[in-house]
Amino acid sequence: MASVFNTAKLSARLASRYAPRCAARRGFRISSRNEAAQNFTMPALSPTMTEGNIANWRVKEGDSFSAGDVLLEIETDKATMDVEAQDDGVMVKIMSEEGSKGVKVGYRIAVIAEAGDDAASVEIPAEDKPAEEGQLARKDRPSPQEKLAGGLDPAESSPSSAEAPPSSAPESDASAGGAAATASAAQKETKPQSGRAQKQTYPLYPSVEHLLHTNGLTKEDANSIPASGPNGRLLKGDVLAHLGRVKKDYPSQSAARLTKLGHLDLSNIQLSKPTLPKTEAAKEAAAVPEIPQETEIAVPISLSAVIATQKKVNDTLGIFLPLSTFIARASELANEDLPLSKSRKPTANDLFNSVLGLDQVAASSRGRYTPQVMGLATPSSTAPARRAKKQDIIDILAPKSTAKKSIAGRPGAVGISTGANVFSVVAKSGEEKRAVEYLERMKLALEKEPGRLVL
Amino acid sequence: MLSRLAPRAAIRTAFQAQKSTPHLLRAAPITSLFGDRISQRRGYATPAEERDLVIIGGGVAGYVAAIKAGQEGLKVACIEKRGSLGGTCLNVGCIPSKSLLNNSHLYHQILHDSKHRGIEVGDVKLNLKQMMSAKETSVNGLTKGIEFLFKKNNVEYIKGTGAFADEHTIAVNLVDGGETSVRGKNIFIATGSESTPFPGLTIDEKKVITSTGAIALDKVPKKMIVIGGGIIGLEMASVWSRLGADVTIVEFLGQIGGPGMDAEIAKNTQKIFAKQGMKFKLNTKVAGGDDSGDLVKLNLEAAKGGKEETVEADVVLVAIGRRAYTSGLGLENIGLETDDRGRLVIDSEYRTKIPHIRVIGDCTFGPMLAHKAEEEAVAAVEFLTKNYGHVNYNAIPSVMYTHPEVAWVGQNEAELKEAGVKYKVGSFPFSANSRAKTNLDTEGMVKFLADAETDRILGVHIIGPNAGEMIAEGTLALEYGASTEDVGRTSHAHPTLAEAFKEAAMATYGKAIHY
Ligand SMILES: Cc1cc2nc3c(=O)[nH]c(=O)nc-3n(C[C@H](O)[C@H](O)[C@H](O)COP(=O)(O)OP(=O)(O)OC[C@H]3O[C@@H](n4cnc5c(N)ncnc54)[C@H](O)[C@@H]3O)c2cc1C
Repeated sequence: MASVFNTAKLSARLASRYAPRCAARRGFRISSRNEAAQNFTMPALSPTMTEGNIANWRVKEGDSFSAGDVLLEIETDKATMDVEAQDDGVMVKIMSEEGSKGVKVGYRIAVIAEAGDDAASVEIPAEDKPAEEGQLARKDRPSPQEKLAGGLDPAESSPSSAEAPPSSAPESDASAGGAAATASAAQKETKPQSGRAQKQTYPLYPSVEHLLHTNGLTKEDANSIPASGPNGRLLKGDVLAHLGRVKKDYPSQSAARLTKLGHLDLSNIQLSKPTLPKTEAAKEAAAVPEIPQETEIAVPISLSAVIATQKKVNDTLGIFLPLSTFIARASELANEDLPLSKSRKPTANDLFNSVLGLDQVAASSRGRYTPQVMGLATPSSTAPARRAKKQDIIDILAPKSTAKKSIAGRPGAVGISTGANVFSVVAKSGEEKRAVEYLERMKLALEKEPGRLVL
Repeated sequence: MLSRLAPRAAIRTAFQAQKSTPHLLRAAPITSLFGDRISQRRGYATPAEERDLVIIGGGVAGYVAAIKAGQEGLKVACIEKRGSLGGTCLNVGCIPSKSLLNNSHLYHQILHDSKHRGIEVGDVKLNLKQMMSAKETSVNGLTKGIEFLFKKNNVEYIKGTGAFADEHTIAVNLVDGGETSVRGKNIFIATGSESTPFPGLTIDEKKVITSTGAIALDKVPKKMIVIGGGIIGLEMASVWSRLGADVTIVEFLGQIGGPGMDAEIAKNTQKIFAKQGMKFKLNTKVAGGDDSGDLVKLNLEAAKGGKEETVEADVVLVAIGRRAYTSGLGLENIGLETDDRGRLVIDSEYRTKIPHIRVIGDCTFGPMLAHKAEEEAVAAVEFLTKNYGHVNYNAIPSVMYTHPEVAWVGQNEAELKEAGVKYKVGSFPFSANSRAKTNLDTEGMVKFLADAETDRILGVHIIGPNAGEMIAEGTLALEYGASTEDVGRTSHAHPTLAEAFKEAAMATYGKAIHY
């Protein structure tokens, strides 16, 4: 039921580097819910995700997998993401085949079992009610990794502010909520489920007490009214719903809305340019190879002056300054006030500024380039190929020869040579001037007076 | 022992570096190159013991996290470059501004308001220097207090500028000269924010100032223009207006108070401030400026185009907002991402894509408020020690410490309309509150917004004396999912200003008694 939380790990953006360490911790926790087979449901990979497509299964029925293995790829309208196994296990049955479209979050897509179980003989559990998933997960309070695994839905990760369904056994649903609860279970796909009834252990709110008394209800009755308040507290609206004065599922709907407001909205983050996750960028490129007009611009820069300075500082002051410090500081300087891209659309920040009345959009802005450095001496082939067009700086500076040479891959990044190195950045279409300016400044800073970068 | 530790650590780093390479290659091939190299070398060079937690930035977010971590028994170090703890808030933000607001209010009150209360004072004179040193006394007392709390809770305080050398190592340029480096199993980034500069004007903190200059002017300007009618701008405008400056506030939008303030409250506020002598130019944009002469000239334009005018002032305060501050932090060395407004990207547990590095406070998402930073600090430490932390972003109050004060929590009318929520409004004016009447301080009102169906409180908006203290009750009510009836049926002492709060609640689900 809570299988998503236990076994899947979203790898795309937040993948844990320390899988081995984390896995040990998780494994410990999971063992307390040791079941033969578990349903594996469509995880919510972002706060707004409601459904996804199964792009491809990386394991077959009967396959064993280890923590960290990619189990499948899920496609949403925004991105394609890998779902990794969080624990060792075995794939018992795949319920939603490759290519399944529009699978709702929380719906069973496969059945998995503990590592070592015989896939052929384990019993297939019944399909869970998707709506209950969140509650169970809340109930046994997964580790952050497990919660992360359940998608990045912040609503799932802060239970005490989760005002909607409080923790209680799912069975109480039938006994307590009665018809209302069953009805809401039927509508579970679209409507948030009604809060659960539970024993009210805190003093009742004054409004609640008042409503109970004036309507001939007892305190025991209060325990059986579905409660939508924080930590399962019974609110005035819940009693009103019970009395039929407001729509039955209205209190829980508004609770769900407020729960969402209680979390930072981390959806639709617009990353600053150069740090766009390459995974996404690469995938976009793969899907529509023609569109991204990226140009790799390279400039040879000698680091010998830097190394001389490094040595001098070391000899005189006894401080060893890594090359990266020089490069980082030069980069910091070079990024200042770069000419703006021609094709630049106003960013949220520009719009913000124009709202504030600073509307003449500046002619320059701070760049966010980080150089790719390659020692010329030692080429290798370990770096991934990237679809970027390589262009000589001369091509850009000389207006005529704008022909872009396309290269399939690029030489491996293998470290910094003490002599000449190639510094390169990838410039988006329209940003070439910006990138060239940046590299020129890098060259100036590193070759001419590197001492000033660190003193 | 040490000699054995060193290579082991090195091997581990190397292993990690290797392991992480595929991820890094996907995410940021460039930095992985540096990262690996550095981490290997550092591993050998720095056998120093690893802290459980290293925090960069000793502002509210950083120092609270440090103290909390110390209390939880973690081995924690906090790096701060300013030379004193407490960050923006204690040194140049909340605290000094509130000191000046309080004392300038007293001055103004003695000057204009004491006579009809039956208090006759002789010659009232402003001693600005003394007012500033009173402010410094408060600031120093508080920042030293935090240093004491660090000692008490075994927090190691490193004075210097920190930058990432690799994912676990922070290189520190010490304030007193020299360098060191610290390793942390976990790292929190809490480097805060800075004033957004105004293109075309050079901040010298004398003629063209940010809030930092505005809390340290050495004389009262004759004429002051404030660009931006948000909370910080209005607070500073109040201070200098009370001390005798002719203050004009230029705001691009049609409303003062910034985005969260309820429109009705904002309008009321503006009326009251205008009575106090501040001038407003709304729907006006500053098209350009010239700060070359003795006076600063600004070109103003109607926001929707048209009417232009040039205005002059001896001091121009740029208060158009703040932006996340991460420069010099070496983010590029570890490939951390910011969004297009420079905020570090996090998940719902404050983790960056490198999970042992978390970000809290002004340098990431959410409102730039000290108490928000503080909540996040505690939650982030609890994620480390308890695997669970909690911040309810819908119940973070905002306060403007002018007179009267303005405070709110939850949603405003415009936001509810946009969300399509049916709501009811109940309000109560302080002019009908016995304590406000007694105090001869009756401007303002309390306003509740509650769900039309369930009466659940969705927002509380107050303008009036003591609004900033009173909003705590609204925040508590929101946190508990209370209805206005719950507040209305709770006893409030008589005579207090808080009775206005209760009566506004009563007016929402029924009727107020005294209005
Ligand atoms: C005039 C003014 C008035 C304000 N009034 C209020 C108010 O009344 N109420 C309220 O809630 N909020 C107020 N604020 C906002 C409040 O100050 C901030 O929200 C709060 O300070 C944020 O805390 P922080 O720890 O995130 O960042 P900061 O307080 O900015 O602290 C960050 C610290 O990190 C240090 N640092 C940065 N980079 C490095 C590095 N590489 N190495 C070492 N140290 C580094 C900085 O020196 C700084 O001290 C006000 C702000 C201003 C400017």
